[in-house]
Amino acid sequence: MNALLLIVGALAVAVLGYRFYAGFIDQKVIEADPNRMTPARMYMDGVDFMPTPKNVLFGYQFKSIAGAGPVVGAIIALQWGWLPALLWLFLGVFFIGWVHDYVSGMVAMRNDGLSLGALAYRYISPRARLILLAFIYFYLLLLAGAFGGVIAGALVKLTSGPVAILILALAGALAGQMIYRWRVNVLLMTVICVGLAFLGIKIGEFLTADKILGTVAQSKFTWALFAIIFCFTSAVLPIWRFALPLNYVAFYVVMFGLVGGILGIIFGLPPVQAPAYNQFVIGIGPLWPILFVTIACGAISGWHSMVSTCGTCRQLEKETDAKPVLAGAMFTEMVLAVVALMTAAAAIPFSQYQEMMKPGGPGAGAVFATGLSNLMHIIGLPLAFGKTVGVVIIVVLALTVMQLVLRFMKVATIELVGDYHPLLRNGTVATFIAAVLTLFLVQTGWWQFLWILFGGANQLLSSLALMVASAWLLSQGKRATFTIIPMWFMFITTIAALLYTSYNLLSKVFAGQVKAAAGQSLLEATIGNGLMGIVALFLVVAACFLLADGLKALKRLRPESGAGMMAAAK
Amino acid sequence: MTEEEKKGFFKALKEFIYGMAAHDSARFALKTRASMEHLFILVTMGDMLGVPLLPPYYSLRLLPYVVPQISTWKRRMLREKDLTDALA
Repeated sequence: MNALLLIVGALAVAVLGYRFYAGFIDQKVIEADPNRMTPARMYMDGVDFMPTPKNVLFGYQFKSIAGAGPVVGAIIALQWGWLPALLWLFLGVFFIGWVHDYVSGMVAMRNDGLSLGALAYRYISPRARLILLAFIYFYLLLLAGAFGGVIAGALVKLTSGPVAILILALAGALAGQMIYRWRVNVLLMTVICVGLAFLGIKIGEFLTADKILGTVAQSKFTWALFAIIFCFTSAVLPIWRFALPLNYVAFYVVMFGLVGGILGIIFGLPPVQAPAYNQFVIGIGPLWPILFVTIACGAISGWHSMVSTCGTCRQLEKETDAKPVLAGAMFTEMVLAVVALMTAAAAIPFSQYQEMMKPGGPGAGAVFATGLSNLMHIIGLPLAFGKTVGVVIIVVLALTVMQLVLRFMKVATIELVGDYHPLLRNGTVATFIAAVLTLFLVQTGWWQFLWILFGGANQLLSSLALMVASAWLLSQGKRATFTIIPMWFMFITTIAALLYTSYNLLSKVFAGQVKAAAGQSLLEATIGNGLMGIVALFLVVAACFLLADGLKALKRLRPESGAGMMAAAK
Repeated sequence: MTEEEKKGFFKALKEFIYGMAAHDSARFALKTRASMEHLFILVTMGDMLGVPLLPPYYSLRLLPYVVPQISTWKRRMLREKDLTDALA
């Protein structure tokens, strides 16, 4: 099987889904009306609510949802074989993914641009909001931990990365200074800073981390600490000073790598080397339910509901823009996930892939970097350069989300526990707490289990968003089958995945059978397994409370009930 | 492809790239400006809120500069917010 053929297949699924299924739901069920007032026009405040052209918003939505998630998840899932991963990407996005992103955005748009928590309060129950916010806190902690693990693994293996990333960070800081302080022309700033970033990649090839740090560079802890310090700095500095300009400069490097990889697939036509189906049970668990939480972004992801509700829907100029922006970005992300899958399935031998994915191995980040460099080599770029570009891309994608998460957790810590002690109201202290918790998770847990927990929390969030959307659809007297069935599927699958992972972890802790990964002590591994098992249980309990409230709301709003009949009459 | 279609395509591409690369930065710049406006309004209209920060004489002198911002400021202030707003 040829990799290009599979990417063409992904494009076909995207076009069919967008044109027919999304078109039908948009026109016949939601009845998007270009003349209806949107929150962006109604509450224009020049900041959050602002009518924005749909092409700009499409780029914004795509960039906000497509981080390291679609890349890493698809690569991990290759352990089951490329076919199960591909089928889940195709079917997941077709029947669930775009529905989730689009409907959660539409619900918010028809409710004055309310956030997900406020929507849960309105349509489910008052306590649903509080549980949801606590849930989101733990979800983001797991997200930061999982991405931190990916970064640490990639940088241990690919030692050309750290210097390149440091120079990229300097280029980012310089970009901020040039734009906001020296008022330099944007084009000139872009040329200088992006040029500096590529120079950094070239320098990184020669000035590798092991030459500077010696054996310290072989420790995952070093790179986890590196990532955390990086994100901590970014979270406590003003956002214009570092985080935003860094993302701006990194965008060009990421695009360069992705376009290079796609051109490699088009011109090289590499055959898929991985088996279509490998085995049902792999190290992290069986195909059902674990595959369905391993690949979140690309098929369906709860993160998108937060971006859709709090960000994009407040900027949509017309209701009819929601389909191209929200559904369109989701389908495009699926294509990106298939490309990422091909970097592992077609660009490197399967035996090498399996070796890299073993416990204590460098992991998915290194697989992506190696695969991408092989693809870029097809169009004539040197392997070492391509590898450094690959590692910079995966690290930057992960760091971008981690920075945002730490920034959010700073605010969340202050809001949630700031009243207990004045020190907890200090932004730096709150960020420090979040950073330490993240580092603790990265150091003690095996990143693949962390990834499962993050994926589980992410998918649960998506089923909760679908529940809110279903309640809204029923309250409007509209059909909700297309959201209720995916909600149940995601809920059952994710609860099963979390319970399986939790049992797996806790049973080993209680039986004293925990095995430490390379560079980890037995005590760390035991604490990590115990902690991850408990967090998984917490997520299950929180989700069950939300489900109980949600079911009550759905029952109250079903068509044959009083409230439902009133809604239908409206 | 006609000339107009070509123009439309390149405009869309330009907007898409801007959306991915810089729209976030533009939004945060606006948010920063909004925070400054909030402070400015608090300083000039503190009396009304029960926080007399500036003598009324100066408040009245500055009032014409505040008036254009009042409607959007009010919308921002009265809007229901929660933690997830910090993510977008």
